[in-house]
Amino acid sequence: MEVVKKYSEPELVRLLKQRSRHVFSYLYDNYSGALHSIILNIVNEEELANDVLQEVFIKIWKQIESYDSSKGRLFTWMLNIARNASIDTVRSKSFQNSRQNRELTEDVYTAGGTSEMKTDQIGLKKLVYSLKEEYKVLVELSYFQGYTQDEIAKMLNIPLGTVKTRLRTALIQLREIIKP
Amino acid sequence: MDIKAYIESGVIESYVLGMAEAQEAAELEQLSRQHPEIRKAIDGFEAALEQQALSGAIAPPVQIKEQLLITLADEFMKEEESSVIAFGWFRYMAAASVILLMVSAALNVYFYTQFRSTSTAYQALLVEKNTLFADNQTIQTKALELYSNMQMMSDPTFQKISLTGLKGKENSLATIFWDSKSKDVYLLPNKLPQAAADKQYQLWAIVDGKPVDAGVIDACAGLCKMKNIPNASMFAITLEKKGGSPTPTLAQMYVAGKVG
Repeated sequence: MEVVKKYSEPELVRLLKQRSRHVFSYLYDNYSGALHSIILNIVNEEELANDVLQEVFIKIWKQIESYDSSKGRLFTWMLNIARNASIDTVRSKSFQNSRQNRELTEDVYTAGGTSEMKTDQIGLKKLVYSLKEEYKVLVELSYFQGYTQDEIAKMLNIPLGTVKTRLRTALIQLREIIKP
Repeated sequence: MDIKAYIESGVIESYVLGMAEAQEAAELEQLSRQHPEIRKAIDGFEAALEQQALSGAIAPPVQIKEQLLITLADEFMKEEESSVIAFGWFRYMAAASVILLMVSAALNVYFYTQFRSTSTAYQALLVEKNTLFADNQTIQTKALELYSNMQMMSDPTFQKISLTGLKGKENSLATIFWDSKSKDVYLLPNKLPQAAADKQYQLWAIVDGKPVDAGVIDACAGLCKMKNIPNASMFAITLEKKGGSPTPTLAQMYVAGKVG
């Protein structure tokens, strides 16, 4: 029944700013799956991921005025909102559970071995996990867990410069995998 | 500055993925405005990342969208003249038909009520009309009767005999109209006291000195037709038991009058 219309990005942004329900619905239909996937990569728990997804769309809706198209694509902006919201959720959850950061870190080495949902076979994480171990760990810690390079250097007990270089290399490799 | 090396350094990917430190990000934004190649490289990675994310999409449970639309319900602007025309049309048509249906239903109720009250009023009028018609018929009949009575009273072939009140009953009065051809007798009870329920006035003709029954007086409008009396010397009215008596009760004689 619904006639599918493709919106250009400026149109989407303009109509979202005009508070269009229809365009919000369109945005959700087109991007919720992609954002859900990245949230799952970080949150690792389905129930919680659903809550985060909801929170992310409310943030997109409330903060659309602050989106600056000169800095990048709408999707990049939304992806960053989703990533940040997911990392915040994991941190506040682990804080509530009185979990030590170190335990979280240890999860990296035991990935897939816990009772948590296996989300390394989906989305971006699947690609990252195809990288060499030394790169994979860095992207996991920095991108999916949100640690700074400084923190990672201390955690892994390797020089900051090495973290920087390896991470850049990892991202270049990732780009090559993603490249259409 | 070696732009190509900069592009290949991984800083762009780091920036797009939101992992760049503030200083790096500011520097990249600055450089991207000066070097279209950098802008192009950023755009290219963003587009590739979006494509990858879309192809790796995992549909969330449907109720999340429903919940979101409920949560934000008050924030949406009133339904726009939708950019998606067919969809908008359908909605408006559906809304319009629901409204039309409601209006139609309301009108049905209204008209039915109107119809009911009109129908009731019509029935009442019909009854009233029939009553008036019947009344009119009665009045016409009475008028015709009175007219024929009047004709009789003024007809020279009718002999008029006044029966006047006897002693003690002076106020009473009756009149006989006697057809000299057919010998039919008509009585006009001008003034007679109201008879009790079990009593009735009776007319007598005196023939050769003897009383002959000329009929009891029923309630009649105008002239009451009595029995045919071929000849008589006198008429009199007595009050008898209901239905009349074979012989008159003389003590109860009210009026009398001689013929001629």
